[in-house]
Amino acid sequence: MEDKTLRKEKNPLKNIIILVIVAFFASLTLWGNAYFINLLTLLFLYLSLAQMWNLLAGYSGLVSLGQQIFVGLGGYCLAIMTEKYHQGLALSLVVAVAVCVAFAFVISFPIFKMRGVYFTIGTWIVAEALMIFFANWSFANYNIGYNIRMGYTFSPNIIYLMAYIIGIGSVALVFFLLRTKTGLALMSMRDNESAAEVRGVKLYGTKLRIFLLTAGYTGLTGAVLYLNMVYLTPDSAFTINWTVSMVFMVIIGGMGTIEGGIIGAVVYVIIQQYLYNFPGISMIILGAAAIAIILFLPKGIMGTLHSRYGWELFSVRRGLQNKGASVTSLKDILMK
Amino acid sequence: MNEILKVENLSISFGSNHVLCGLNMELYENEVLGIIGPNGAGKTVLLNILSGILKPTAGKIWFMGEDITNRSIVERTRKGFGRTFQVPRSFENMTAYENSLVGAAFGGDCKEKDCLEISSDILDLIGLGRQKQDFARKLGLLDRKRLEIGIALASRPKLLLLDEVAGGLTESELTDVLEIVQNIKAAGISVIWIEHVLQTMVDGTDRVLLLAEGRDIIHGLPQEIMDSKEVEEIYLGTDE
Ligand SMILES: Nc1ncnc2c1ncn2[C@@H]1O[C@H](COP(=O)(O)OP(=O)(O)OP(=O)(O)O)[C@@H](O)[C@H]1O
Ligand SMILES: [Mg+2]
Repeated sequence: MEDKTLRKEKNPLKNIIILVIVAFFASLTLWGNAYFINLLTLLFLYLSLAQMWNLLAGYSGLVSLGQQIFVGLGGYCLAIMTEKYHQGLALSLVVAVAVCVAFAFVISFPIFKMRGVYFTIGTWIVAEALMIFFANWSFANYNIGYNIRMGYTFSPNIIYLMAYIIGIGSVALVFFLLRTKTGLALMSMRDNESAAEVRGVKLYGTKLRIFLLTAGYTGLTGAVLYLNMVYLTPDSAFTINWTVSMVFMVIIGGMGTIEGGIIGAVVYVIIQQYLYNFPGISMIILGAAAIAIILFLPKGIMGTLHSRYGWELFSVRRGLQNKGASVTSLKDILMK
Repeated sequence: MNEILKVENLSISFGSNHVLCGLNMELYENEVLGIIGPNGAGKTVLLNILSGILKPTAGKIWFMGEDITNRSIVERTRKGFGRTFQVPRSFENMTAYENSLVGAAFGGDCKEKDCLEISSDILDLIGLGRQKQDFARKLGLLDRKRLEIGIALASRPKLLLLDEVAGGLTESELTDVLEIVQNIKAAGISVIWIEHVLQTMVDGTDRVLLLAEGRDIIHGLPQEIMDSKEVEEIYLGTDE
């Protein structure tokens, strides 16, 4: 059966657009001004946070309000490894990832027993407990925290490049993950978890893998965030504001889409620049914006664009090859 | 004939609502068993228990000689259970082809290349050949019901559970569905088919069971069951 609609649609224009964007941001290190570089450093790090939370909540149905656990642990690993043990950056980042993945694995046993809103609250409680624990832990300098001096040894351009790699890497990671068999499972779970299970998708194992993956990547992002911010305390490391910003970005951008996290991160970082002028009520403004989006564009900006116009930048659609003969009987198919 | 499925003393209650009360039934290899019964008789509940979604309060289920009463949903699917849902539960934001692929990749035991081929071939076979790249949310009712069957078939089941795949369809669409079920039987798959459209039961099944009051009221050849006074009293009586 020769059928044009079955052919995998190839769109070189999209690839070119993506390449141009990627190259443009890399070139910024050569000509961007300090303010812009700093803004984009934040953008890429928040992009990574958004992609990871989207993978968790948007695809795996794990609506965690405790991702600050891993931002904080990542930051603390960096601080302790460099300040206390005088280790280099690379090893510190490896430790940050390893500690986050290990900690996620340990807490997965109790919190994966909780469903729905209990899981959400459970993750938050773990984060709050960590905040109190670190504030009282002599090993981690109590609530004095750390001044991460290594942060001063890197130029803003180098830190920007790290953020850039992490940000682009997070998009690439989600994109390529979605094209694997696990990705097929994730998309089916996003659309209908109980139906996915009936079709043979192992929910627990898939969720656990995503929980560990996002923990590690969020931890890495957290470490670089603190390399950039330099100063770290338990209150700032484990604050729920980290996850609130992730939720905000993913919801306004559009849950369960790659582009949503990108749009959300851009909008968030821009809004945040203005919110510096309203320190007390910034969270209220963010909350109001999120509620407005939920009311008027429940699928987020990207979800609305996609369902109205079929627009998408990163297509994870699986294409079909053309074949010669058409099928006659089910028996022949099943004999394969 | 060998039994592929055997259900013994199956009971389930939701609070004081005793939906199934000691149901016994069996299904033979390559048989199409129709199940009829009034609204709320527990037909869908029975399928949910068989596929592992609901836990029975009592009773046992054997599948190909093995006691699977305590097996998980995924284990049952991988052992060869396939099913459709009365209200279609396709994956809305995935294409028809990807829907079928989910069935093949996770329910069946196939190499990647074979999975891709099977998923595509199945859609051709059930009449969704031209809609493969359409999102499931764009499909009409008949196509959604087809897709439900397609996802289930892609996992290459030994037992297929159909929950009202003919409801709401036109005369000619019914013929399509009957043909699909004939094809399924010809491929050696055993089928339990729940339906309110009695004519499809007569035309498309080997045996019919009337489920009411939580048990098997009567079973036998389709036409005999349709003509029985039990069906007239319990089933058709509800229409009058
Ligand atoms: N998960 C559940 N929790 C509580 N009660 C339930 C549940 N599922 C089904 N029931 C009850 O079980 C009874 C049987 O429902 P079921 O859906 O099996 O009927 P049915 O025979 O499929 O009817 P229909 O022909 O309308 O589809 C109904 O009274 C229903 O309310
Ligand atoms: Mg029903």
